[in-house]
Parts: sequence; C-alpha cells; structure tokens
Amino acid sequence: MKPISKVYTAIIMIFLFAPIAILLVFSFNEAKSLSVFSGFSLNWYRELFKDAETLGAVRNTLVLAASAAVISTIMGTAAAVGINKLRSRVLRTAMDTVTNVPMVNPDIITGISLMLMFVFVGRLFGAATSLNFVTMLIAHVTFCLPYVILQVLPKLQQMDRSLPEAAMDLGCTPFRAFMKAEIPEIMPGVVTGLIMAFTLSLDDFVISYFTSGNGFQTLPIRIYNMTKKTVTPKMYALATIIFFVILALLIMTNLIDTDKPKAAKTAKAARAKRSYSRRSRIAAAVIGAVLLIGMICVIVISGGNTLTLNVYNWGEYISDGSDDTLDTVKAFEEYYYETYGVKVKVNYTTYASNEDMFAKLSSGAVSFDVVIPSDYMIARMRENDMLLPLDYSNIPNYQYIDESFRSLYYDPDNMYTVPYTYGVVGIIYNANKVDEADAHGWELMWNEKYAGDILQFNNSRDAFATAQYMLGLDVNSTDRSNWDRALEELKDQSPLVKSYVMDEVYNMMESGEASIAPYYAGDYFTMIDAQADDVDLRFYYPDPTNYFVDAMCIPSCCQNKELAEIFINYMLSPEPAIANAEFIYYASPNSLVYEDEGYIEDLGEEAMAILYPEMGDFRELYNAYAYRSLDAATLDYVNSLWETLKIN
Amino acid sequence: MNEKTRGLIQRLTLTPYSVWALLFILVPLIFVAYYAFTDIDFRFTTDNITRFFTATSTVADGETVREVHTYLLIFLRSLKLAVISTVICLIMGYPIAYIMARASVKTQKIMVTLIMIPMWMNFLIRTYAWMTILQDTGIFNGMLSLLGLGTVHIIGTEAAVVIGMVYDYFPYMIIPIYSVMAKMDVKLLEAARDLGCNSFGVLHRVIWPLSIPGVLSGITMVLIPSISTFYISQKLGNGKFYLIGDAIEGQYVANNLHFAAAIAFILMIVLLVCMALMQRLANRKLIVA
Repeated sequence: MKPISKVYTAIIMIFLFAPIAILLVFSFNEAKSLSVFSGFSLNWYRELFKDAETLGAVRNTLVLAASAAVISTIMGTAAAVGINKLRSRVLRTAMDTVTNVPMVNPDIITGISLMLMFVFVGRLFGAATSLNFVTMLIAHVTFCLPYVILQVLPKLQQMDRSLPEAAMDLGCTPFRAFMKAEIPEIMPGVVTGLIMAFTLSLDDFVISYFTSGNGFQTLPIRIYNMTKKTVTPKMYALATIIFFVILALLIMTNLIDTDKPKAAKTAKAARAKRSYSRRSRIAAAVIGAVLLIGMICVIVISGGNTLTLNVYNWGEYISDGSDDTLDTVKAFEEYYYETYGVKVKVNYTTYASNEDMFAKLSSGAVSFDVVIPSDYMIARMRENDMLLPLDYSNIPNYQYIDESFRSLYYDPDNMYTVPYTYGVVGIIYNANKVDEADAHGWELMWNEKYAGDILQFNNSRDAFATAQYMLGLDVNSTDRSNWDRALEELKDQSPLVKSYVMDEVYNMMESGEASIAPYYAGDYFTMIDAQADDVDLRFYYPDPTNYFVDAMCIPSCCQNKELAEIFINYMLSPEPAIANAEFIYYASPNSLVYEDEGYIEDLGEEAMAILYPEMGDFRELYNAYAYRSLDAATLDYVNSLWETLKIN
Repeated sequence: MNEKTRGLIQRLTLTPYSVWALLFILVPLIFVAYYAFTDIDFRFTTDNITRFFTATSTVADGETVREVHTYLLIFLRSLKLAVISTVICLIMGYPIAYIMARASVKTQKIMVTLIMIPMWMNFLIRTYAWMTILQDTGIFNGMLSLLGLGTVHIIGTEAAVVIGMVYDYFPYMIIPIYSVMAKMDVKLLEAARDLGCNSFGVLHRVIWPLSIPGVLSGITMVLIPSISTFYISQKLGNGKFYLIGDAIEGQYVANNLHFAAAIAFILMIVLLVCMALMQRLANRKLIVA
C-alpha cells in the first residue's frame, strides 16, 4: 500500500471505531454518566449479568437472528437455484423485481406494511394476539431473503453449467449431482448470505419495532423503550462484550483459514483440501443443526405448562435487581410458586410512551394481562372499553392506598385501577450557570439569558403543557385557539431550546451540556448521583404544574384475570412496593411505603421533601391541573401543531 | 438434464420462495395502499393523500412569517439530508473500496472484517455513542479545546444528523463497490496504462465505468435507509429535525394508522420512481461507456 493509502485507511478506521472506543471506555465508568468519566469500575458488568430482562432480550435477539438467518439462507439458496434455471425472460424479470422490493423499500415501510397485514388478518380471525415471535420471524426472514439470493445467484451464474451435467453423465442422480457439484461451487455465496442475514437481523430496529408484540422483545426494542428513564452504561458493557466475542470469533476463523493450503498442487494437498472442505461442511452442518435444535427447544419450552402473565410497563419502571435491589418480577414468581404451588412465568415487556402502548394495544395485535399507563391514558382506554373492572377482593392490599388517590377523575367509582406511582413535574437547573434569582416559574424556560441552555420535552403533551401552565391556560381544552396560543409560545421558545429530549435529559444535565430542563421530580435524584464536578443541579416546582398518577390496570385482552390481580396485589405488599419506589424514585401512594421508616431513611430528608411536598390537598390540585383524555379530533390537531413546531 | 427433472427442480426450489414473496412482500404492500386510501371505518377516501400534499403550517423565517406545506417540507428536508449523506459516503467510501481491492488478499479480508464490525454493535447504541461524542461538552469538543482550537457546536445541527447517517450506513456503500472492484481484471488497468493513460485516465476511463454497478447498489443501500430514519434525527438532531420517518412514526404512535400508511405509500412511490430512473440512466451510461 502507498503511504497515502495507509493514511487514508487509518482515518477511515478512526472514524469507524471512535464510537466503539467510547463504548469500551465508558462501560468501565464508575458513575452512571455516559459523558463524565469518574473512575474505573466493573460495576456495570456485574449489573448486566444481574439484569434478567436484558439478558433475556439478548437471548431473544440471538434466537431470532439465528432462526431468520438459517431459514432465509435455505429458502433463498433454493430460490436462487430455481431462478437460475428459469428460461422464461418474463418470469425471470418478475422474480428479480419482487426480490428487489424489500431492498429498495425503506425498512420503515417494510415494517409498517407487515404490521398492517398481521393486525388486519389477526383481527379477521379474532386472534387475541397477532404479533408475536412468529410474526417477527416472518418479518426478519422477509427482509433477509433478497440479500441471500443476491449473494448466491451470481455464484450460480459464474458456475460452469457443464459441471452438474458431467456429474450426471458419470451416473449421479440429479439430486446427488446438485449436492456434489453445485453446492461446493456456490458455498462461498451461501456462507456470505448467511452471515449477512444474521448481521442484518441482529442489527434491525425499525422492522422489529413495528412487528414486535407480546413478551418477545429484542435488544434494540428494549434499548429504545428506555426513553422514559435513561440508557444505562449496562448497555455499553453489553456492547463491549459483543465486540470482544466477535473479535475472538473472527480471529479464530482467520487462524483456521491460514491453515488452508492455498492451492491444491500436489495430490496430498488436494486430499488435504478435500478433507478440509469435508470437515468444514460437517462443521457447518453441526452449527446449523445446533441452531435448529436450540430454536425448537426455545419454542417448546416457551409453550410449557406453566402459567404466563404478560406485563406491559414503561422501560426501567420496576425494580429489576440492579444495584442489589430486589428483582420484584422474579420475587413474584417465587412468591406465587410458594403460595399456590404452580409455576408462573412473567413475560415482562416495555414501552416507550403511553401513546406507544395505546397504539400497540388498540391495534388488537398484542395481549397483556397487566398494564401501567398514566391517568389520561387510562381515561382514554376506558372510553374505548379497553379495561376490565377489577375484583378488589383479590387485591386486599388496596386498603393501604391513600384516600387522596382513590376515585380520581379517570376512575371515579374505583373500579379499574390501583395507583402505582404519582409525581409532579418540576424544573431542574444547574446552579453554576443559572442565577438563583431567575429560578422560579415556567418563565425560566423562556429566559433569553439562557438561550441554547434550555431543554424541552420531546413529547407533545408535556411540551404544550409547559406553555399552557405559564400562560394560565387549560391543558385539557378542546378550544383550538388555546392550543394555537401555546404553539406560538413554543415557537418563540424554539430558538432558545437546545434540544427536545426524553431520556437524553439525564446525559445532558449531568454533563452540564444544558442547564435548564423540565422533568419528573424523582428523576432529579438520578441526575444528582451522576452529575459532573462543575455541575450543581437544583430543583423547584413551578406553579401551577402537572400532577400525574400511573396506575396498574387490567386490559380487556387479559387472559388470566385472577393471576393479574394477584400480581397487582403482590406489588402493593411492603417489600416489592418499597423496592419499586426506591428504584423508580417517584412518590408512592402506598402508605406501607411512605410511612416506612427504612424507606424514609434511605431516601433522606431532601428527597422526601421533594417527592412528598407539602402541597395541601392533592386531590384539588390534581383535579385542576392533571391531564385529561383529549378527544380524537383535538389529539390530531395537537399532533399537527407539534409537527409545525418541529419543522420551524 | 431432461425437461422433466428441470421442471421438478424448479417447482421444488421456487415454490416456497414464490409463496413467501407473494404473502409477505407483495400482499403487505397492497395493505399499505388499502390503509392509505381508507378512513378509520375502512371506507374509501383520498383524504389521507390530499392531506399530505395540502397540509400547511406557518414558519417563522427570521422576521417574516411564511406559509409552507408541512409534509412536503419534511419530505424535501429528509431527501436533502439523505442525498448529502449518500454523496459523502460515496466520496469517502470509493477510495477506501479501491484501496481494499488493490491490497493483498490477507489485507482485504482484514479490512472487510473491520468495516463490518461496527454493524454488529447495536445501531441504537452506536448512535447514542455519537451523541456523547458530538455534544458541546462532549469528547470531540474536549479534544478541540485541549488543542486550543476552541469549540464547535455540532449536536442538533444538520451536520450531526448527516454524521450519524454517514456513520451508520457507511459499510453499505463500501462493500458493494469493493466487491465489484475486487473482481476487476488487473490486466485491463495495465493495458490502459500501456496504451498511454495516466492514473487519472485509468480511473476515469476504466475503473469508474466498470464500478458503476457497485456504486449504484451502494447509493441505493445508503439513500434508502437514510431517507426514512427516525432514530438518528431524534438523538443527534436534538429532536429538532423532524424527518419523514419521524412523521410516519409520529402518526403511528398517535394511532393514526391510515395517515401513517398514506405517508409510507407516497414515500414508496417516490422512491420506486427514483430508483427506476436511476437504473435507466445507469444503463444508458453503461452502453455509452
């Protein structure tokens, strides 16, 4: 290579590997921050191996990628052989065109089109769930197929056509001729196709996002759904491990490759080559068989005779065993087995937002037994008959829910819900950048002094509400001019806004990248724990502000209502309830939690004061300022205004 | 091989794929069209399509305020960023593909592997890592200020979104060009040189025309995913770049499936037309060359 080529190659490699180096370094970070390195620690690796949900997602991803790769390689290779033998030009062109469709179609369209079809067909047959492992597998096979065909087809075209014919002349059956003469010729293409299919399936997010359903979540989906809380360095640790595993695999295959004689010049070498290729074929067959058996096992095991409970919750919204906390889901499984003598498997699935959850549930494509939406979404689900009334005799722990959190507007007769957490939206600011004198009210978010240092919610409801609270407008108005006024205010704010954020807020506030952000009260403490040395985060409540309650409910697609109620009841009992409250850092409506001395001590005085402020009558404030469900026309209007804001 | 066995092999090998392609490639596209042209009660309507072309919003342009077509603007913006990213990928990727194709077999293998490795890291995590590199207090600016060069504001600008797209889809540009170039006959290049071509001449008259099929599939494989991405624009655009992918995802999350399908339908048609035009142009060029 010429020196200039070397330099250029080096630059490209730096570009390709810079983010990966960052992942490596920050996976060893002591603090939770992804931008401030505070010291070496293996903490995140420990956390990763304790996180059953993430490990499950990794397993799902691998199972899906391996199955999709094997199926698409077999079907694609066969198809390539068939296409190659086609004589009719018209048929040939038709086949080529169809094969090209998934490649020239953006993945978002492939994803949406499959989702629409699955949902429609599922509804036609009245299936409880039409999106599951199988539909995801179908989607992945579909987008992998063209890549396999395009790898194998050229090899077939390059192949000497007289080869199989010679084999048959020598007495081979057509099948044997194919196996003996054609397969070895096209093997490199098949292997490349297999690897490509596996890679594409492993890395796919968009198509999985639209076709994922019950219980079966892949790693990309799990990461995406962490948007309400934060993407933890656990994920960086995982990426680092994946990196080294791949590196090891590649080095190994390269070592094997160098053993291979370059050209079969002597008879001995030729024999060696033959035995090598036989060995590699056997190895390929063994790997294929193991993958298939593994796949079948997974499918069989998942269909065992234990009970399953499908829980659908926000990402990072339950104590999951990290940081030596209680893994409440696992604890429930043990509790149930000890109490009732029956095994239960909780399929825990996450979503990124209320709207996301509603879209999945109302499509009728998924089926869950317990969901934990926010108040206004509960109201909307009730209007759409998507909830089942609870049998409170199965939920005796409901007695510990404070009186103020009962009979709220979304469930006036206490029939459908059990409150899980509640909270208040506040403003977090960096006292090293922001004058104490300016730190009051929503006006801080419109203060031109801090242009470029302000963050705003990246979801329409919360963002509009900041403007509406400041202007003294009703956040639940159906009057379009009300929303138009809020939009004007947001447009004025837009040049001052650094970023519209959800989970990115953590990173940006902790590192000092931004100085002012509205967010949910408890999350402030998560940020303090990881703030950089020159950042001093403070918190206050603007007035008025948003009050929210997230509650456990049972959707109408529930398959095992009693089990779901037992789960809800268990989550109210002291140990899991305290673990969840400490993990999520939001206020709990459960008196077993907020009156617990251990909990009060763990949280500390400052946190207690912020999470449980002296606010007077919660119900009154809540009724005045909480979000209500908006009608479809208003929602659509708000959504179009939001798009308008975003294109400014 | 006699006709009977040929027919049998064809049936056996092609049938599974044909059935699959029909059920899971073609029929779903019909569903997109069906949803795009119906309302919530599945009655025929063209409202979704007309909404795409007629919806307007006001945009502050400095002091003046003007009326723009919301979705057309979003579409053009996506197209612009995707085209810029594709061009950058091509300019950066073409030389590296050439270097690879000319290197020793061993180096070629290593380089292909190195280029593929980032694709095995999760796409979302990769993009997240870029966020921490590019932000104002991030690693890139930290290095600049260490060198005494001051800082630049990248995150949240078009540049950041383009960097994300280029990074995420770069291998898709290199690999197809490389595989075409690796197959090129070295004798051709030598012949051109012997006949008096200088290096530029060889590149211009021999290498480039021969590599066009690889370039075309590279362009397709970068342009298509970058035009429809929504994660990159969310993370690296500071939520300020609303692209066509964001619009589709936004409508899906807002439970407005029919309008989401309409946007997807229009995007699909536009891309199919573009690709067909590009293919035709390339065919003509190949004949000229």
